[in-house]
Amino acid sequence: MNVHRRTFIRSAGVSLALPWLNVFADESRDSLDAMLPPRRMICICAPLGLHPDNFFPTQTGKDYTLSPYLDILKGFREEFTVISGLAHAGMGSSFAHQASASFLTGAPGAGRPGFRNTISLDQFAADHIGTQTRFPSLALSGEGSGGLSWTRTGALIAADNSPSRVFSRLFLEGNSEDVQQQIHRLEDGRSILDDLSEQAQSLRSGLGIEDRDKLDEYLTSVRELEQRMSIDESWAKKPKPKVSVEPPKDIANAADLIGRTRLLFDLSHLAIQTDSTRLITIMLAGSSFAPPIEGVSLGHHDLSHHGKDPLKLEQLKIVELETMKTVRDLLSKLKQSKEGGNSLLDRTSVFLGSNLGDGSSHSTKNLPVLLAGGGYRHGQHLAFDVNNPPPLCNLYVNMLQRLGIEADKFGTSTGTLTGLEMSQG
Amino acid sequence: MNTPCILLHSILFYDLTFTAFKRSTLNRLAMRCKWTIIVSVALTFATATSMASEHELPTKQLFTDHCESCHSGTNAKGDFATAKLSADFNDKQNRELWLTVLEQLKEGSMPPKDKPRPAANKLQSVVDWINAQAEKAEIARRATEGRVVMRRLNRAEYANTVRDLLGVEIDLTDLLPLDTSTNGFDNNAELLHTSSFLLRNYLDAADRVLDEAIANEPEPWILKKRFDIREEKSVKSTGSVYRHTDDGVAIFATWESANIRVTMWNFRSHVRGKYRFRISGYGFQSEGKPITFRVTAGTLKEVTEERLIDYFAVPADKPTVIEFTEQLEPENRIRILAEGLPALPPAVEKIGADKYTGPGLVIQWVDVEGPILESWPPPSHKAIFGDLKLARISPERFEVASQQPMVDAERILRNFARRAFRRNVSDEDIKPFLARVKLKLDQNDSFEQAMRVGLKGILVSPDFLFLREQAPKLDDFALASRLSYFLWSSMPDEELFQLAETNTLHQPKVLREQVDRLLSDPKAKAFNTNFMGQWLSLRAIDATLPDGTLYPEYDDILKTSMLKETSLFFDEVLRNDLPLTNFVSSDFSFLNARLAKHYGIPGIEGMEMRRVALPSDSHRGGLLTMGSILKVTANGTTTSPIVRGSWVLERILGTPPPKPPQDVEAIEPDIRGATTIREQLAKHRNVESCASCHREIDPPGFALESFDVIGGWREHYRATGEPREVNGRRVRFWNGPAVDPSDSLSDGRTFQNIDEYKKLILEDKDKLARNLTEKLIAYGTGAAPTHADKPQVDAIVGHARDNHYGFKTLIHEVVQSALFQSK
Repeated sequence: MNVHRRTFIRSAGVSLALPWLNVFADESRDSLDAMLPPRRMICICAPLGLHPDNFFPTQTGKDYTLSPYLDILKGFREEFTVISGLAHAGMGSSFAHQASASFLTGAPGAGRPGFRNTISLDQFAADHIGTQTRFPSLALSGEGSGGLSWTRTGALIAADNSPSRVFSRLFLEGNSEDVQQQIHRLEDGRSILDDLSEQAQSLRSGLGIEDRDKLDEYLTSVRELEQRMSIDESWAKKPKPKVSVEPPKDIANAADLIGRTRLLFDLSHLAIQTDSTRLITIMLAGSSFAPPIEGVSLGHHDLSHHGKDPLKLEQLKIVELETMKTVRDLLSKLKQSKEGGNSLLDRTSVFLGSNLGDGSSHSTKNLPVLLAGGGYRHGQHLAFDVNNPPPLCNLYVNMLQRLGIEADKFGTSTGTLTGLEMSQG
Repeated sequence: MNTPCILLHSILFYDLTFTAFKRSTLNRLAMRCKWTIIVSVALTFATATSMASEHELPTKQLFTDHCESCHSGTNAKGDFATAKLSADFNDKQNRELWLTVLEQLKEGSMPPKDKPRPAANKLQSVVDWINAQAEKAEIARRATEGRVVMRRLNRAEYANTVRDLLGVEIDLTDLLPLDTSTNGFDNNAELLHTSSFLLRNYLDAADRVLDEAIANEPEPWILKKRFDIREEKSVKSTGSVYRHTDDGVAIFATWESANIRVTMWNFRSHVRGKYRFRISGYGFQSEGKPITFRVTAGTLKEVTEERLIDYFAVPADKPTVIEFTEQLEPENRIRILAEGLPALPPAVEKIGADKYTGPGLVIQWVDVEGPILESWPPPSHKAIFGDLKLARISPERFEVASQQPMVDAERILRNFARRAFRRNVSDEDIKPFLARVKLKLDQNDSFEQAMRVGLKGILVSPDFLFLREQAPKLDDFALASRLSYFLWSSMPDEELFQLAETNTLHQPKVLREQVDRLLSDPKAKAFNTNFMGQWLSLRAIDATLPDGTLYPEYDDILKTSMLKETSLFFDEVLRNDLPLTNFVSSDFSFLNARLAKHYGIPGIEGMEMRRVALPSDSHRGGLLTMGSILKVTANGTTTSPIVRGSWVLERILGTPPPKPPQDVEAIEPDIRGATTIREQLAKHRNVESCASCHREIDPPGFALESFDVIGGWREHYRATGEPREVNGRRVRFWNGPAVDPSDSLSDGRTFQNIDEYKKLILEDKDKLARNLTEKLIAYGTGAAPTHADKPQVDAIVGHARDNHYGFKTLIHEVVQSALFQSK
């Protein structure tokens, strides 16, 4: 709780150039941590799974042989942990695709009648550290607006699938007239919201208890948005970070899942590097169309239902190896970006996983899990008992703690994940 | 471990979401609470702490014996102590906690597997007690609060509402995420949440809608031109598959993957809007047979940037004009693709298009006119501003101006709010918006800028976003909305408003007339799309693409025809008030040449779908045996009796199977092997714990095994293997094991095949009617009926029975019911 502001100010002279120090406001970090660059998190879901035979290594511990997929990441061997055996508690195979809704929330029973979701990992974290950046979090998606991020009340946050649009939100300033217009829009928005909360208050009196709950959810949304817009307004008055790259061009072809993934990853790197946000979720595309990759003639979804057909397995491998290469390139970019003596990768937990343990059988057990960067003692294959695994949410508690958030519980967690340790401060 | 069950659940409910009416009270309530932690709890045994000062609950003994060793005290597992439960079921939180307990007891997930089970009779009496208390509380709640909680417009309803409010058709899918549809329909009031993120998107959506509605640009010019496709660069006259004739171009082949297709690059839509197309063509050298083609539109730059407009057919030798109107985005184009021509391009090129004698399609010309403007400024603009003049404020921009701003503002906001709020508005209602406009004007905003803030406020206000209903009985305005959102997925029109205004809508006769009127309006397409589309899960038609190796005959034209069949059939049953038993078995359907071929029904030519009397041995008729249904209940590679069986129970019979256990693990399907799914599943019928559910689920599933993943009839499964020739086509599949579609129902009645199965389920027509009634109420009111509503549902079913189970009658009966007319 003690923020050593004087310590901060004394050293600020040398550090102010770093974007993350511009908005030093978090009172929950200790002084040592405050001197270090901030911690970040990128969560990626491959919605059709990653073929387990190609993903998981056979041996466990530190001296394991890299699996075909992990071999792509061999340059980072000491900077990631591969984890097998994990599953979300209370998830069945019958709603395996729907389980992506719970991927970052851990809410049991996704897809079952009456299911209601809970807050996702990134939004939970954003409640703690979200005000420190221009964007509290970014929800991205390879196709459609369904993503991984959910609010506290279980509402889906529309994910953005247009890299060019996100880029422009993050980095394109526009001329002073545009900026003025944006501020104007925010002011208008806030005054509209202001009127609405008064209206809704008067409406409230005539309602029954459950209707009132619905209206309260609306009112809470109004208030939260008002607060957020006032933060946005102050951000709108500050110049956006400058980046020396060309704005991305959206890939219209939904079948080109690798191309789209690459754009999202590049953008995520830029967003982290400029400290525009510290929390990113990415739902990768899983198209029914055949992706434009040499040697692939079937759609990814259909390949995932390979039924052990060797030709399909071969094509599936080609597609998923390409996905792993995009992950490798994301790690490389984060690694190459330095920030006060550390690399961005050291400060960014990159979590890759899936709601599906096996796309062909629709299993939701033994989920593929890879955790890279972020400052853990990596370089191992942590294997858990598939038949009696700890909940995946335990890992999420580790990740929250790694972000400096004092949480000892998340979703269905029963603790933290045994064997996963932090390596720095 | 229980291997057979493992297999079952591996493939259950593939890619579908399900309704569960029978359990809906519980689920509806149980899922609302925040109980994520409880699921992970493990119970063990020890002594119990007492339940403080509570009355002794009938559950006390069971809790003491089986729960409280873990669930008591300050360190209670899962953050749940039984002492938290009280006898007050009217307290929402308490009730939900109880229902969670109930769920876990019934499911058997508590006490944990490795602990002793409570005696069955003791467990049952506790379960019954909780059920009874919950139901009593629910009935009490309804008396004051109504059955349906305040409902937000869902994505489709929002889009349709702004369309009818302002006359703009605009894509908002990037702003408004797809709504949750875990209860079978995505308009479930309970599950439609609001968040600050959504609210921000509503603000953006309002901007986009107003930008589209208001005419700030100069009047666009109208393109009106006849295009001669001989001038298209894609249609080369030599060394290709095209012959330039005196009157146009003869197309002898289409090959999409080699980009051999006719794209009209010379046309492009210069602004968004509706464009009218007229295409003149005929079948060439086609020996009297019509020639089919399809037209697509989009930027055409990528495969996903091209959407189907429709399939058409023109007769042989007789120039025929086909006409259609299409909404286009800027920079869109169209493409014409001949279908079903026998030759591949190399064959034509070898002979030379000039000498080729095979059949082709002649396109003579294409007329395009657009954008089609009803008026300028467009109706959307006038819908807001009436006849207020536009003033040019810069060379390229106009704005609405007013001589008496506050007078105009009040009139405009009042009119707009009345339609947006779907009821009469008072001075009080528009006061805040008017005050805001005034403030903006005082701050020197222009009239239009100030008005936009007011209008935007209306478009994000709770009165617009939520349906306001009164308990217990709806007033006529709320009834008008319930009716129009039921049948149109949109706001009421002026006639409904008038009837609400005069307070006559609720009169049975008036209501009956209105249902008929709404159903015959083109807007009733939304009922087809949203009700039928979700009831039958047709929205998932593209979730998988069938394996091209096993099913090379599947293509877009087949898929499109399948969807049309179901949609036309549904409308036919509805429009003519045919018995709803037609959904199970019927002597007619809608076919075109392509679908008839797929079904093996001879004598159907041409692309247009038409009503066809089915031969008695066709195995078709009714929904279950339609290609579309068989496709959405399979993945692209294999069928599963479990998936299809559950689908039939869930969607047709209204007796959804219980949830599959959560702890069974999946095994992988294997399409190389020689065993049938039936053989793989056989064992589980002998395991009692599996069999109790699977003797209900499997029979319809087995009956439908006679149909492959794309709905083709089969005697044998297809298996992959070495390439071979079939009908001149190289394929990689072989006949695998034989299909056995016979089985017996849980009551012992047996059937040999799907035809006999259909007969068996037709014996209980009430069951079919009850299922549809429940679905219609769930969709029409935003909340599924529960056990407490059984008498009312039965009454509706009774009326339907008295009227030959007519489907339209059923809809009338639903609308006439107190269930529909109450909150």
